[in-house]
Amino acid sequence: MGENVTALQSSLDRLLDSPGVTGVALVDAVTGLVYGAAGDVVEAGDGTESSEFATLIAERLGAAGAEGELESVVLTSRRRHQVLFSVVRPAGDPLLLTAGLDRDRSNVALALRGIGDRLAEVLA
Amino acid sequence: MTPAARNVPALLQGLREGEFTGTVRVSGSPGGMIHLRDGLVGAIETPGAPSATSVLLTPGRIDDAAWLAACAAEPDADRLGAYLVSAGLIGAAELEVVCTAAVFDAAFAMTLSPVGGWETGEREPTLLTTPGVEPRHLTEETTRRMTSLTGSGRTPGELARLRPRLTKNEGSVGAVAGVPGAGAPLAPRGDAWLPRRYRDLLGGVNGRRTPRDLAFALGRGLYPVLLDLIRLEALGLVLWEAGAATGDRPSTAPRVTPGSPAATGPAPAAGPLPRRRPGGASPAPDRGEKGAT
Repeated sequence: MGENVTALQSSLDRLLDSPGVTGVALVDAVTGLVYGAAGDVVEAGDGTESSEFATLIAERLGAAGAEGELESVVLTSRRRHQVLFSVVRPAGDPLLLTAGLDRDRSNVALALRGIGDRLAEVLA
Repeated sequence: MTPAARNVPALLQGLREGEFTGTVRVSGSPGGMIHLRDGLVGAIETPGAPSATSVLLTPGRIDDAAWLAACAAEPDADRLGAYLVSAGLIGAAELEVVCTAAVFDAAFAMTLSPVGGWETGEREPTLLTTPGVEPRHLTEETTRRMTSLTGSGRTPGELARLRPRLTKNEGSVGAVAGVPGAGAPLAPRGDAWLPRRYRDLLGGVNGRRTPRDLAFALGRGLYPVLLDLIRLEALGLVLWEAGAATGDRPSTAPRVTPGSPAATGPAPAAGPLPRRRPGGASPAPDRGEKGAT
């Protein structure tokens, strides 16, 4: 969206320091609009598909009896993980942080904790 | 100076190449003002969708007193965003998200009706997303949004003018059989499991408010409100009020803030309509039943 590095872009760039993270994106969880991305954007996933997928899962989990808001979704294939994190905002529609992880270079449990601990920094 | 262009996207693309800084006034219903900085779209103001300011103030993300103090301290609205961040009222990245979302939403709202014309003018200070949105990206996303709503059987413009209402079975999700997209019926167990934004939206739906009214009342974008209403319809919680469209007439439904008695309270009790009498002087109602007398 421009040549200047914005605060959001800097936040996303820092997430690439996490082990095995190949791409991240901040996505509007309702509309699928991608506000920013860093690294391999294909690895981060399509914004519209990610938002629709997270919405579907949240609705079905809620209907099945789950309490509270969706926190994260982990998809695993032979070579990579894709993780969707809900980003809490003080007000406004929810956001998703989508991240692609290289399975050979990441431990999904550590990555979940590492990125999860830094979610608050994304909107700082 | 108003360059020749076949439509607004072509105009914006041309202004991008010229790194234009200023304002494009678009006439029409709703019309609006597009604020450009070095050819990038920094903000769009339109009566058709809440501005970034509305999105920040309506849900109380920034309280009114702090906002007024910030406006007094930084009179140039172009620099207001930087002031809000430096004053610790909001994070820079969050402000970027809010302002960017408002730009895309306003562009979508302006696309719902034909454009009458446009003219360019001088820069007018406003709260901006920085550095701004590429016009090509704005056009592509707006096209995607319009396309995404066509599967509902109505045009996006028609959807935006309808007045959704709660179903009689609201509270027992999935009870309405045959709703497109509903999939397998979900267990009826109230709406406590619904995401908060769904519950807030349901609290504002009353059969009188358009999606635009709901967007302003909740401080949300028009497009996300439309998407959520479609999802709530699929869950059997909301019905689009067929036949309630009012053309281009502006909605006169009161704007209320979420949580206020007007937003959450029951609708006024509706008694039976007076019976019409042959030869009576009363004007014919819009939705009277023929042969009722």
